[in-house]
Amino acid sequence: MFVYEKRLQYPVRIKNTNPALAKFIISQYGGPDGELGASLRYLSQRYAMPYPELRGLLTDIGTEELGHLEMVATIIQQLTRNMTVEEVKAAGLETYFVDHTAGVYPQFASGTPWTAATIAVKGDVITDLTEDMGAEQKARTTYDNILRLSDDPDVNNVIRFLREREVVHFQRFGEALQLATEKMDQKNVYVINPAFDR
Amino acid sequence: METKSGGRCDHRNGVLPSCAPLARAYVPMQQSSAPQYDASDALKRGTLFPGLDLPFMNMVNMEDVSGTPLGEVMALCFVSHELQLYLDTHPKDTEAFELMKSVLNLTAEAKRRYVAKYGPLRPDDMLCSESFDWIDDPWPWMYRQRGE
Repeated sequence: MFVYEKRLQYPVRIKNTNPALAKFIISQYGGPDGELGASLRYLSQRYAMPYPELRGLLTDIGTEELGHLEMVATIIQQLTRNMTVEEVKAAGLETYFVDHTAGVYPQFASGTPWTAATIAVKGDVITDLTEDMGAEQKARTTYDNILRLSDDPDVNNVIRFLREREVVHFQRFGEALQLATEKMDQKNVYVINPAFDR
Repeated sequence: METKSGGRCDHRNGVLPSCAPLARAYVPMQQSSAPQYDASDALKRGTLFPGLDLPFMNMVNMEDVSGTPLGEVMALCFVSHELQLYLDTHPKDTEAFELMKSVLNLTAEAKRRYVAKYGPLRPDDMLCSESFDWIDDPWPWMYRQRGE
């Protein structure tokens, strides 16, 4: 069960309309390393996890990622609010605009729609946690690249917050992998997959 | 854990097994939930823990984001969430758990104050509402100037 809380995790207050920034920040909504994939990856992986610490962590980080999804959508909404057709053209946003007007649609910066092919649920404890560590690093790099491209301080404050969350999550997934392997056969952690072999 | 000079590792370092089996990935375990930023700095920097605060090009947010009634709720909720993630991988750290409980108390008080003045955060907050105000603006994504 999920309960909606009518607030953001971190405030988003973007004064200036700037569709040119929305054009690439949309990738953290529905792109290959975006927040939609992050939330679905963790919330889907948790069902196969055999240890309580991992079930808790994947639930809690997956839930936080849903909050980040909402923050990224808020950035897009505010960057495109009251935009004119002239601003759409000047920003080169016509291809997005023709399909979605000023709606928020989960897609890559390149225009490919969000796809579950960008996430993995392998049903193996070590494999899934290692995937999650890689996923956090990919999202961090994407936020680094957004910081290189964006010159709006109102946007960058939020991006820096989201980027730092990736660093913290990487640490927690690494700790979770350590905890998990401590519970496995110490001579050979690969002797079975504890998510399947009992 | 000892450093080469014989001292204890500082909070930027964690613990690794002294003999680590091959063919595995290792991230050192954070040793303790201390030191910590205060709630306002934690929200601003995106982490409660100075040891995990590793900003891109060393640029950090300077603007105070918690100086509003909602900002206060955000900051306290953020601290308890950070402690919750820490406890997920350190469930036996009783000190961190006690701290989380004290933050949850402060959070509940801050939320009560906010809800009484500005309306429900969650549907069950409408116990305090005189009419169905769930649908009232502002929704979280709407642009508001600071202090609005």
